[in-house]
Amino acid sequence: MLYLLNGLQLVYVVFLSPLIIGIFIKLTERFESKKGPSIFQPYYDLYKLFHKQSVVPKTASAIFQIVPYVTFSMYLILTLVLPIITAFPLSFGPIVDFIGGGLIFGAIGVLKKIASLDSRSNYSHLGTSRASSIGALSEPIIILIFITFGVISHTNNPYVVNNIMQTSSQWYFSLVHWFVVFAFFMALLIETGKLPIESHSNNEFGMIDQAIEMEYSGSELAFMKWGGYIKQFLLMSIFLNDFLIPFWVPMKVGLGSVLIYGFIHMLKMLILVVVFAAIQSTVSKYKLFKNFEYVAVAFTFAFLAILVYFTTGGSI
Amino acid sequence: MKEAFVMVGFLEITLVIFMQWQVYLKKIVDTFSLSSYAISIFLFVDGAILNNINLLILSALTAVVRGFFIPFFIRKKFRKEYYLEREIKSVVPTAMSIVLSLFFVVVGYIVYHATLYNSIGLPGGSIPIALLFQGIFLIMSRNNAFVQLIGYMVMENSLFLFGGYLFPELPLVIEGGILLDLIGIVMISGIIMRLREENVSNIIDEFKEFKG
Repeated sequence: MLYLLNGLQLVYVVFLSPLIIGIFIKLTERFESKKGPSIFQPYYDLYKLFHKQSVVPKTASAIFQIVPYVTFSMYLILTLVLPIITAFPLSFGPIVDFIGGGLIFGAIGVLKKIASLDSRSNYSHLGTSRASSIGALSEPIIILIFITFGVISHTNNPYVVNNIMQTSSQWYFSLVHWFVVFAFFMALLIETGKLPIESHSNNEFGMIDQAIEMEYSGSELAFMKWGGYIKQFLLMSIFLNDFLIPFWVPMKVGLGSVLIYGFIHMLKMLILVVVFAAIQSTVSKYKLFKNFEYVAVAFTFAFLAILVYFTTGGSI
Repeated sequence: MKEAFVMVGFLEITLVIFMQWQVYLKKIVDTFSLSSYAISIFLFVDGAILNNINLLILSALTAVVRGFFIPFFIRKKFRKEYYLEREIKSVVPTAMSIVLSLFFVVVGYIVYHATLYNSIGLPGGSIPIALLFQGIFLIMSRNNAFVQLIGYMVMENSLFLFGGYLFPELPLVIEGGILLDLIGIVMISGIIMRLREENVSNIIDEFKEFKG
């Protein structure tokens, strides 16, 4: 049964992640009173890219071409170790905890940066430099959040955290938890490249992550983009299942309950996408140097969560 | 009420950090107004539970004077396009000042646990001390006189929170007197800042940073 659920979760994430992005783009355009592309546009884009010829910079080494496939595979591993549609560990669940998952995300980031530097493109270098600066400050926030959850649940296992949040109303309504939720939400906007941090346009002045894959084309670009969609899907799922709405995720092995939760999870994702689209349409982009103020505030929330814990002993 | 005290306290800390983040004066004044209303609601609920009329009067005074009148008066003292009024140049870079403000919260926690905790025994007692430090830092980190005034009032808010919760039997005349003093201070400061804006800034451009 577990093997079947492994496959189900993999298919669920890999094939629905472009749809979530499509809905997000459609909603953002609708909020701006435009018609917007079809919600299936990311699928059409991927199909188009897979059928295009790849162009590789003359100066780039083999790393440039290998990285999209390696990073995509690493995203697939992450899909199998995080609580997406199950709150019980799947076959690969025990191999990593929160910190391990963070390390894989970090490794993917490093590989992408190395590949973008390997392209010798100035714009890619610019994106790498910006992503590294922001990442150096946003990673401690994520670590602080994991430490806080470690304190709450005495573990760093995302499945256990979900089970505790589902069953303990004391922790769910605690001030510690809500400070963490707020900090993670701010970090989520950074990690998924949303406004007010990054604007996805053709203007290179605002590009951060977008600039890293600038020299890619054809199927390599398709894998980079698809990997990006999966990353967003995974991070949003973690935010929903471990932080904001940890309820209804099946805690016992069963195909029926997992299938039903699959639909519920999509509804939860849609709510989050509406919130993201609303932010995207109402907030203007910060200047690059102002991003650090945003990161400082997110760090403050993560740190205050720990301080609340020490002040109250977690009773509030 | 212990839970409510901690929740309002951390809300106040968060609001001060938000003030530290903001550049436009209108947002800072509005945030101060919100923080005063939060204290007023806390004092009202505390007064209703303890059946203490002094706390209820103090709550009403806080809402009227700190929540409404002082922010209203400061907004009136801005120039016509008050929403454009902003800090021209901070002493400390904003991102750094947010982290430093957080650092002072930690300092408040350490100071409280090293000194008062043994005699009071209240777990959230470090919050007003942290707010006091944050208020001082808000004054130090900004050049604008109105923001400095708000930093001073943040310090007073912390005392109100502490006094209102720990010493509800404190004579009303003392706390009410502080509030009335505050009106005087804000009004006189407003007049001085307006005079400075009209006269000094025209002569020396460098003084721009000090004008209200």
